Amino acid sequence: MTPALQTRPDVFDTVIVGAGVMGATTALFLARGGQKVALVDRQDMFRAASGVNAGTLTLHMTRAQLIPHAIRGREMWLDSANWLGEDVGALATPGLSMAFTEAEEELLRQRARVRQDMGAPIEVVSPKEAVRIEPGVNPALRAAAYCALDGHIPTYRVGGAYARALRQAGVTIIENSPVETITPATGGGYDVRVSSRARPVHGRRIVLSTGAWLEKMLGWLGYNIPIRCLINQLVVTETLPPVMGSVLSIANGLLSLKQFANGSVLIGGGWQGEGNIHQGGTRVIPENLRGNVRLAQYVVPRLDEAQVLRVWLGLESETPDAMPLIGALTPDDDAFVVGCVHSGFTSGPYMGRLLAERILGGNPDLSAFDPTRFSTPAATGPQS
Amino acid sequence: MSSPDFSPVTVIGGGIAGATSAIALSRHGFPVTLIDEQPAAGGQIFRAPSPYARQTVPPNHEFSGGDALRQKLAASPVDVRFSTRVWGLSSTLTLDLIGPGGIDQLPPSTVVVANGATERFLPFQGWTTPRITGLAGASILMRNGGTLPGQTVVVAGSGPLLFSVAHQVLELGGKVVAIVDAGHRSDWFRLGAMLSLDPARLTQATRWMLRLRKAGIPIHHRAHISAAQETETGLLLTVSEMDHPERRHVYAAEAAACGYGLKPTTLITRTAGVQHRHDPAGGYLEPVTDAAGRTSRPDLYVTGDAAGIRGMAVARLRGLITAHAIAQDRGVISARTYETLTRAPRRQLRRLEAVSRQMLPLMNAGSAIPTHLQNETIVCRCERVKAATLRSAIEAGAEDLNQLKAWTRCGMGPCQGRMCEDSARGLLTAACGNTPEEAGSFTARMPFFPLPLTAVTGTFAYSDIPLPKAAPL
Ligand SMILES: Cc1cc2nc3c(=O)[nH]c(=O)nc-3n(C[C@H](O)[C@H](O)[C@H](O)COP(=O)(O)OP(=O)(O)OC[C@H]3O[C@@H](n4cnc5c(N)ncnc54)[C@H](O)[C@@H]3O)c2cc1C
Repeated sequence: MTPALQTRPDVFDTVIVGAGVMGATTALFLARGGQKVALVDRQDMFRAASGVNAGTLTLHMTRAQLIPHAIRGREMWLDSANWLGEDVGALATPGLSMAFTEAEEELLRQRARVRQDMGAPIEVVSPKEAVRIEPGVNPALRAAAYCALDGHIPTYRVGGAYARALRQAGVTIIENSPVETITPATGGGYDVRVSSRARPVHGRRIVLSTGAWLEKMLGWLGYNIPIRCLINQLVVTETLPPVMGSVLSIANGLLSLKQFANGSVLIGGGWQGEGNIHQGGTRVIPENLRGNVRLAQYVVPRLDEAQVLRVWLGLESETPDAMPLIGALTPDDDAFVVGCVHSGFTSGPYMGRLLAERILGGNPDLSAFDPTRFSTPAATGPQS
Repeated sequence: MSSPDFSPVTVIGGGIAGATSAIALSRHGFPVTLIDEQPAAGGQIFRAPSPYARQTVPPNHEFSGGDALRQKLAASPVDVRFSTRVWGLSSTLTLDLIGPGGIDQLPPSTVVVANGATERFLPFQGWTTPRITGLAGASILMRNGGTLPGQTVVVAGSGPLLFSVAHQVLELGGKVVAIVDAGHRSDWFRLGAMLSLDPARLTQATRWMLRLRKAGIPIHHRAHISAAQETETGLLLTVSEMDHPERRHVYAAEAAACGYGLKPTTLITRTAGVQHRHDPAGGYLEPVTDAAGRTSRPDLYVTGDAAGIRGMAVARLRGLITAHAIAQDRGVISARTYETLTRAPRRQLRRLEAVSRQMLPLMNAGSAIPTHLQNETIVCRCERVKAATLRSAIEAGAEDLNQLKAWTRCGMGPCQGRMCEDSARGLLTAACGNTPEEAGSFTARMPFFPLPLTAVTGTFAYSDIPLPKAAPL
């Protein structure tokens, strides 16, 4: 970039669209790598999936192929003081995934094996051993998969920590500014038009990290990738005396249960609500609320003393093969995507760092996440 | 006129506005369900005395008015559901209820929201000490439970409830140590002049003021409690003057009652997604309504104080007018009949409206207090969030209330921000120059109050849980 361009306030080395954990981490490491970076979000930062998720740092629910990344992401969270600038309160705990029926036990053993092969230190233990590890669980279980590497993070502390780190690294944060079009600029790079500014923000390159909203934006660059939007339900209780100390799940992956330091218990697992990502607004499906809470109470019987404090829904994105999109979108290496990462909060810091490394000229192995694997772009150049 | 539509109407709130509306709606021929969390109708003003009350303040027009309303309601065909609370609602206005029989749902209907007002509280150093209550809470304790908050009480805050509560303390034989009002003395004189339009209020106000004066109670205007400290015998309360912060007065008392006026209760209307606006005079958010309580949704009406604080007399008139408006909107009565039926109440309403609006700045007189909160002061009691924590999140870039909530947990607890929202907003607007509209309000979430987990689950076996298909491996 010419020095003249460099000094113009609305011209950047990289413009990142979407300020969740993926975009924000990429921004942070690019800025630390010397780039001039703008991070744009249509609302305040960290308010979509990255602000409302369950904060589980588990290997029991992660897609098997992503286990190495999840392990690295988990380590980064536990070490946040050293790279993010403050300790956000991640806690290492054991994790147990349980089976209560014969079919579930079979599923449990099979899934444990696959995850072991991918490097997760998971072993199947007897009901007695499971109750010893976690006295809070229902002793009616048939078997449990135990993993020493589990834990959780109080999600609410993350956004503020990133905001401070990003500002310190010199990232320009542009909030409450939906990106409306992205067009290739004459002379290279892209013009990113945001609703709040008369002039577009110019980036020598762009990174798309808009989570559940990626489908439309990828379409602007000629990619037609159907992205499914999951509407995940979470339920939190009022604070309770200690009823559990580990992260609990069940064999089919549809429960995540933990008690935070303040005593509240968070019940999740991917039970669905209703909603529409374009119109906004989500709605709890009463049967799913009841089912999710019943499952939790069955697994930890002492939850019958709890009061349900709040229920909310958040949007998560999934590609047709449920694997992430991370990498370059153009042969010119000037447009990138990072998103659709299963259990993406756990691995988010690591994935973002990998993409930053790639953009800064490194060569991390992102081949499994190649965004061009579904289709080649309909048109060679980006279109608005 | 199209053929009349007699589909059901649900009224949420059995105070003056809601009960009046429900009775009038049933007279028009609608099947009406009335829901209230209290064990009987009456709301705040007409609340039925507790059967366990130690003594009640001498019977007054409020109790007899309440009894009359309860009798009328009992004689009407309105289906009443007391001790029942609305804890959630869907976009089509299915109502989630919890009552004596557990969890229940009401199918979509036209809903009249008449859930009244919430007291505004503004914190000060030490406010979470025991024996510090809200003005409204103290009033319920005294009028319905016959119990004094303490033998000696400092009454503080703003708005007419100050003098009502002070008066109640005297009635029960207690001592008012001081009255601390955030409002200007001259605002009260201005109100006094307006009260000629509302003779009932004028008589009552004059009686209260004479009695308080005779009892020799010190009254501070433009002042607020700035700190409370627990002592062996009760509390030490520091009163600061707002225009001269260095001028302080210290009072010892067994208890303090403090409240800064009322605001509409908006959890339900916000969840229903109707338009709201910030009323600068009242300093609060209110649903946008027309004079009959219509909102931006045709199936949702708001009446009484829930549509903006105007007091008891207006609430009754609004309740009545809303019922007639629904009858007109449903083709049950003609526009002409509506005009005739509502002529007298609308005329009364216009007269009272002026007086009621004059009350708003008096209630909102404490609006600048949050600006000066000390860093150590707890703002959100549920999550124990201090002013300093909010200030540092604002500095990190949280410039609206929901980001502030997300980063600090302020407003995430059981009360869902009822207690802290006003002070958090005050702090935010002062710190970054936002307007109250830009600062916004906490997103309302279900359940509106904590629900027993077992009420959600009921009795079940593992095989009853409809497990979704396994997550991808
Ligand atoms: C309820 C729930 C619970 C979860 N629990 C866990 C868990 O326990 N553990 C775990 O590891 N993972 C969990 N996840 C998954 C995890 O939260 C996500 O994988 C991760 O946060 C995704 O981060 P992201 O940055 O890709 O997307 P997001 O955080 O969604 O960020 C996308 C951003 O793009 C912005 N944006 C969208 N459109 C535009 C536009 N036009 N212009 C500008 N900006 C735009 C959005 O406002 C948003 O800020 C959960 C997800 C949900 C929803």
